[in-house]
Amino acid sequence: MDAENTFETVHLLLEDWAERFETPDPTRLDVYMTQIDDLLPAVVGLRVKRLGYLAAIVGLDPGIDMNDLEILYTFCTEQLMIILRFRIPKINGSVPSLCDIIPSAESFERELREMYGVNIVGLRNPGHLYLPDDWKEGVYPLRKGVDLRTAFQNN
Amino acid sequence: MEEIIERKPFEVQVGPQHPALKEPGNFQFTVDGEIVTKASVRLGYAHRGIEKAAEERNWIQNIYLVERICGICSHIHAMTYCLAVEHLANIQAPPRAQAIRVLVSELERIHSHLLWIGVTAHEAGFDTLFMYSWRDRETIMDILENLTGNRVNYSANLLGGVKIDVDGEQKTGILKGIEILEERTKHYLNIVTTDVFFLQRTRGVGKMTQRQAEVMGAVGPTARASGVARDVRIESPYGAYDEFRPNLIIEQAGDLEARFIVRVKELFESYRLVREVLDRLPEGELSVRMPRRIKPAEFAIRVEAPRGELFYFVKSNGTDKPERVKVRTPTICNMTTVVKLVVGHQLADVPMILAGIDPCFSCNDRMVIVRDNRKIETIESRR
Repeated sequence: MDAENTFETVHLLLEDWAERFETPDPTRLDVYMTQIDDLLPAVVGLRVKRLGYLAAIVGLDPGIDMNDLEILYTFCTEQLMIILRFRIPKINGSVPSLCDIIPSAESFERELREMYGVNIVGLRNPGHLYLPDDWKEGVYPLRKGVDLRTAFQNN
Repeated sequence: MEEIIERKPFEVQVGPQHPALKEPGNFQFTVDGEIVTKASVRLGYAHRGIEKAAEERNWIQNIYLVERICGICSHIHAMTYCLAVEHLANIQAPPRAQAIRVLVSELERIHSHLLWIGVTAHEAGFDTLFMYSWRDRETIMDILENLTGNRVNYSANLLGGVKIDVDGEQKTGILKGIEILEERTKHYLNIVTTDVFFLQRTRGVGKMTQRQAEVMGAVGPTARASGVARDVRIESPYGAYDEFRPNLIIEQAGDLEARFIVRVKELFESYRLVREVLDRLPEGELSVRMPRRIKPAEFAIRVEAPRGELFYFVKSNGTDKPERVKVRTPTICNMTTVVKLVVGHQLADVPMILAGIDPCFSCNDRMVIVRDNRKIETIESRR
């Protein structure tokens, strides 16, 4: 399937859930999704149509003053990249776990949870993957403006 | 009277100090006698704060930072970062630079695969093979030192090109070294496919079907040894790989023997590519000018590192520093396979199965704290 056909298939599959589609370069399609509840059906749809494998989950903090985090679920086909983009609130933001559909998502989700403080609903092992066991609760090192020195000054 | 003893699960901790490899990671294995019934992994012991630190450094400083994510595949990290940043800045390295990047990439792959053969042979108790392959690895390290000035962190990349060129004398040295290594590699392929004692440790061990490899998200030689036809250099060529194309090396057996065969055969492909690059090295400049500041944009790129698919996501914000550098290394993908594959195997097979994916904990753990007299510091505060 060439890029045009693949992107058209993704359009048809996700148009009901997507706010908009963008093509930043000829081999990449960004799908801006509105509701995080649409993540699981969208991923199931991509899997059923065999539209790529989950290559990474990227967390982004748009800035200290912003209320939301951005999460990019990156799927790759042979030559193309399909990125499902969601915004979730920084405070009490939750996303459903993909582990039941894609077992390899677990480590990506554990990293996202501990680095950005995103609650992953249904994550089987919510323990730390990278950070120490005694890492301070509520300190998420990849959020903008986090001051680790202050956060741990009493340790 | 016969006493009934309740069988309780027994947990064996392996690591974090040197769990089969000279890198830290912690594995918990639940065993029933000698058989593993459950496994889990705990990483992070080599976490160094690199993704966070990248946000505090400028575009140029970050080349040297990402190059230190991994000692063995330092070039692929730097090259991938440079390709991403060059794309954000809308510039392209000259053809000669792109070809030299491929040259160093393949030399690095040879280094990595030879090192892996030795490490995994050592885990199997085959120390003769370990010593021979590491002796031969010296040949490739000497080539890299002669070419770049460094044996580990090659530092060949610049934003906009490369900082090294290849002269006639270096070309002769590389070709001579490759010729020696090619002969040795034929010997290794023979050993890993015929030595009956070695095959007892590899054939049928850690078997992973193609379906399992796809479901578990395996990448690189680990996936190709299970019949997954995926090599980023071929399916989505980057840099000069559309000019210098490797052939796909794939095996179907999915066991440790297949992982040996794939990596050893990939060595032959790398030798061929090195010769091709040297033969058809384009003339011209080594670099182009790069702006200090980059307008807001983002770029995601994947490349084929020696251990498998490496993914970078880089976002710029109009300044001379990145907004975000995300690195997803192949080891984190393949690590999932280890904790699934060891279940049902003898505990004694675990080191081989772990080494079989060619894990790199240093690549995997990029972000950490440094403890010093109970103070926790980021790498930033130590600058």
